[in-house]
Amino acid sequence: MNNSLKSSVPTDREVILGILNNSEETLNKLYKAYYAMVLQFILNNNGDEDDAKDVYQEGIIILYNKIKAGNFELSSKLKTYIYSVCRRIWLKKLSLNSKKAGSITDYEDVFAVEEDVEHHEEKDAAFVKMQSALDHLGEPCKTIIQDFYIHNLSMQDICEKFGYTNTDNAKTQKYKCLQRLKKIFFQP
Amino acid sequence: MRNDLELDAIIEDYLLGKLNAQETEAFEQLRRNDATVDHKVVSHKFFLESMGTFAEQLRLKEQLNHIHSEIDVESLASTFRPHPSRVVQLWRKHKSAIAVAASFVVLSLVSIYSIQHNTQQAERYRQLSNQVNNAIKTQNSLIRNIKHNNNNTTSGKPNAQNSFGGTGFAISTNGYILTNLHIINGADSLYVQNSRGESFKVKSVYTDPQNDIAILKINDRHFSNLSSIPYTIKRNTSNIGEIVYTLGYPKDDAVLGEGYVSSKNGFIGDTTQYQVAISVNPGNSGGPVLDNNGNLVGIISGKPDQTEGAAFAIKSKYILEAMRAIPQDSLGVNKLSANKKSLLSGLKRTKQIEKIQDYVFMIKAY
Repeated sequence: MNNSLKSSVPTDREVILGILNNSEETLNKLYKAYYAMVLQFILNNNGDEDDAKDVYQEGIIILYNKIKAGNFELSSKLKTYIYSVCRRIWLKKLSLNSKKAGSITDYEDVFAVEEDVEHHEEKDAAFVKMQSALDHLGEPCKTIIQDFYIHNLSMQDICEKFGYTNTDNAKTQKYKCLQRLKKIFFQP
Repeated sequence: MRNDLELDAIIEDYLLGKLNAQETEAFEQLRRNDATVDHKVVSHKFFLESMGTFAEQLRLKEQLNHIHSEIDVESLASTFRPHPSRVVQLWRKHKSAIAVAASFVVLSLVSIYSIQHNTQQAERYRQLSNQVNNAIKTQNSLIRNIKHNNNNTTSGKPNAQNSFGGTGFAISTNGYILTNLHIINGADSLYVQNSRGESFKVKSVYTDPQNDIAILKINDRHFSNLSSIPYTIKRNTSNIGEIVYTLGYPKDDAVLGEGYVSSKNGFIGDTTQYQVAISVNPGNSGGPVLDNNGNLVGIISGKPDQTEGAAFAIKSKYILEAMRAIPQDSLGVNKLSANKKSLLSGLKRTKQIEKIQDYVFMIKAY
């Protein structure tokens, strides 16, 4: 398993180009390439598999967004970047949960990624805000909004799915839902 | 309300670029004229952007979760999980540190070994019981035995005599004798012999393995009580340079050895002993070490292997300790003590020896 993972490690250049071109295969390879490294780090520093998954995915998302934003300069190996980011995130989580960080067992080189992590945290806050707004919306509004804005279903599809007599009714319903969602989303 | 909904629909269509040119122009006109509409457009734009990012991130997360589900987390985790055993865990965590420490330990062990090897060559503690004499004796007895065999060849029984010798001294007038434990250790039967050559059977009544002290009791009806003990015990420790002497039995006659206290500590800093500059030989073990005033300073117990002219003597306070272990009334009234004035004080050495030689015994262990 480990070996097969290692053998499929994509080159850093390959990863960046792949992500810019929305290549699912590249993301897949990238994800599998460095997961073991982060898992080892988390498991040996007071974490479990779920922590590892959360932290690693956050790290990948940070890398992904950075590459997508076009301001990713490859100043080090991707591996080091991912490790540093995940390490930073995990240290923050540890101190938040006031678990003792004690002496962190490191497995790779580390460099400063505070800025990226903080930038991601702001972004993540917006994500969480939207998520909770949607959760507060209740059904069927939540599903209608999700289908329209996230899954890109047409009003026609939504109309059929929810059994509205015509698309105008569906549209009215959608805008009602949208108004409520915006109200929740924009409330401080 | 109805209007609001329509406005929202138009704003969204406008932002998504679904309006035709004419409608766009009309709407932009409305937007310029009505600040409320403009505000709604801006906020809806922001909202749509947020929603877009949200959707994107959500899709990414779903994708990642999908990829994650393809990984065999369990088997990976079991490889990397801190091992249940703390030893393995420590080993994994501090592999390099342990390696460094181990090599350091090996290195220091090697150097300690070599140093010790050197010192072992130079200095080894030798207990001065009369094993050399014993070898000579067994040789003698062997010769005797051969002669015996020549006379009487039927007796093929080898002489199994195995004797040790040392020195001891009286600590009470009624026959308590103090000596080194290593002289009598493992002996079947014990005898003491005084300067006049009279032997008495003794038995061991107290042993102190830590300080190498043994107390014997003469258990012989031919033994008559001694007159009062001439020497006393020195309570405080002696200073370096103090003249001391010892009387012992490295051979069948008493031998005087004289010197000085050369160190306050004994073998490799042993604080229970002095080092004294007296030439001693096997058989001197257990001999009393006295100062010029007839105070008992210690007991000869051994010597460094390769330093000539030095010996170790157990400090006198351990004699007192050993004596306390004996029931006090059994020692009798005339026992060795620290309180009385020594009878030897002020006498010449020859006179002193004359006085103490009746109180110093040869110990014979078989």
